[in-house]
Amino acid sequence: MSAEELDGPELTGDDRLAAEYAMGLLEGEELLATRGRMAREPQFAALVGTWEQQLMPLLDDIAGAEPSPEVWDRIAGELGQVAEQESPVIALQRRVAVWQRVAAGSAVAAVAAIAMLFVPAGQTPGPAPAPRNDAPPMVASIPIADTPLRVGLTYLPDRDELLVAADGLTADGVHDHELWLMPPGEGAAPQSLGLVAPGRQTRVTLDDDLARSMRDGAQILLSVEPIGGAPDKSAPGPVVAQGTLQTI
Amino acid sequence: MTEASPESQERLKTAMLRLSKGDSDALEAVYRLTRVKLFGICLRILHDRKEAEDALQDVYISLWRNASRYDASRASPIAWLATFARNRAIDRLRVGKVRRGAVPVDEALALPDGDPAADEMLIDAERSARVHTCLDTLDDPQRGAIRTAFLDGATYAELAERDGVPLGTMKSWIRRGLARLRDCMERGE
Repeated sequence: MSAEELDGPELTGDDRLAAEYAMGLLEGEELLATRGRMAREPQFAALVGTWEQQLMPLLDDIAGAEPSPEVWDRIAGELGQVAEQESPVIALQRRVAVWQRVAAGSAVAAVAAIAMLFVPAGQTPGPAPAPRNDAPPMVASIPIADTPLRVGLTYLPDRDELLVAADGLTADGVHDHELWLMPPGEGAAPQSLGLVAPGRQTRVTLDDDLARSMRDGAQILLSVEPIGGAPDKSAPGPVVAQGTLQTI
Repeated sequence: MTEASPESQERLKTAMLRLSKGDSDALEAVYRLTRVKLFGICLRILHDRKEAEDALQDVYISLWRNASRYDASRASPIAWLATFARNRAIDRLRVGKVRRGAVPVDEALALPDGDPAADEMLIDAERSARVHTCLDTLDDPQRGAIRTAFLDGATYAELAERDGVPLGTMKSWIRRGLARLRDCMERGE
């Protein structure tokens, strides 16, 4: 048997990489490089996704098997530990969840909603207001789980301006990411800081109400939303990352 | 126990949605509905009960952390979970947490594929038929190599050794086979 006996063209380029990644055939450097592309390039990730969807029915051929009952106990145990380690995030998510419930049944909360879209870089956001005070800038860095990427926020109190850098992020075409401010103190409501523009640096001027809430120690949340952002601007969707606003 | 009923698919979908909103109680419901299928996949790839149970644990913990990535509009939950479990098990195999060779690839091939039991939740039957039909159009060494790579997580080197062909030949077989597979599946859509 030789390769010559089998006719037809081979898969090449990205088609080959995507198929081999989905098959699990890549190893070493090539695997690492391709993982990086999966995180950065939505088109390439979609190619892999198509292969995965098409191949996945082959898994029907694998007979099921019953794991030992201890496996669930171990999962439940680990879940408890993880929840303890990540308590600040979990606590925040609980607070957000409370607001999600409150907002769902409350028109009053919706009235307080703040909707705002970032002005894409390259467009002129209008003349900057004159400096009002000399408060130091604040920053927040929001790491994206399982990746080296982060969303960077810089807030300039003297201009009420927020700069958002989301250079490494890519759009997946079905979700938007939205930033939220969670002011310190129990009972404070999350306030939308607008949608993240993937792969861009953007600048937005905050209104007075929002600017007053931008304080040292405030939590910034990143949530996954339907395209266009959270339908209800007082209720974030699933929170996927968070950071803390700090004076520098 | 899981069943191939629309109700259990619906229960799973509901549990996955709750999980994606951060409800950790939903994880137990997802576990109860999917553990048999996902453990079967881990066991097939890792060939070792203890390793497969560790992998299964890892799958559900990762699932809990990554549930927000689940997109209900794109894939059926069981399909998404099966792919997720397979990829995690292969990762485990590749990073060398498992000593490969405890079960030779030839012997692993002899493991019965078995008809999926009636009480298992099946993946989309229509697409299942398509990829199976397309795979059947391939010549034997290609078909066998692609199946073994996908279902057992075999590498190019392991496949070449098993079939006694040079590495380059095996790569060529699989890349041609995948090209024909893709053409066949595109024709069917």
